[in-house]
Amino acid sequence: MMILLRSLSKLLPTYTVYAHCDIPCGIYDPKPAQIAASTVLKMVQKINDLPKDNPTFGDRNSFVRMVVVKEEHARKCKEELLILWTDYFKSEHISLFPNLHEIFWKAAKLCSKNKQEVSLESAQELIKAVDEIASMFANAEATLNKKSS
Amino acid sequence: MESFLLNNQTVLASSPPFIFSKPKVGDVVVFKVDNIIYIKRVKEIYTSPSLRGASRYFLEGDNKEDSLDSRKIGWISRKQILGKIVFKF
Repeated sequence: MMILLRSLSKLLPTYTVYAHCDIPCGIYDPKPAQIAASTVLKMVQKINDLPKDNPTFGDRNSFVRMVVVKEEHARKCKEELLILWTDYFKSEHISLFPNLHEIFWKAAKLCSKNKQEVSLESAQELIKAVDEIASMFANAEATLNKKSS
Repeated sequence: MESFLLNNQTVLASSPPFIFSKPKVGDVVVFKVDNIIYIKRVKEIYTSPSLRGASRYFLEGDNKEDSLDSRKIGWISRKQILGKIVFKF
């Protein structure tokens, strides 16, 4: 039986079929980027709340820890945005969002800016940029679902 | 699709079973989307009068947590289904 089937597989046309999607996994979500951006803002607020005059060792320790968390979440936010930009959004989305590349590019730049600075304004700008991307993502998903229904 | 199928396993897919009957829930089928052939299991079948009796198929991988399937690519038409897995070896 096995010999027959193996011979058949040589005679019949064979194709590679895909069962899994390890790459790409198809799981995309702007939420991690939004959480990371919110964390950046929270850290900036906390850093600003620290006493500036005569900080204690505890204050200094908190400052360093907050800067590390801000740095890490700004990096994470950028990474999540780049995944959405390069993996989720496809060329067909350009017709839906003509300024897609500019929006992502600016948001990624804002992540770096938030690493360099301790600025409430920059952190709020980052949140706004990531929210805009989340909204684009929701629209793209709605369009995809409409097409497939 | 583990443990039903393992990586690099060979399967025999056949279309005749679907000439005489329609794909059923539980059938493992091969289907084409954007020139990529996938293999998934029929999870749900939807037939609506608005589709003039044509059915749409919701296909899902056995390992849902890392499967790209109808949850992402949507319902599949009968025309996209190439055949049923009749043998694996």
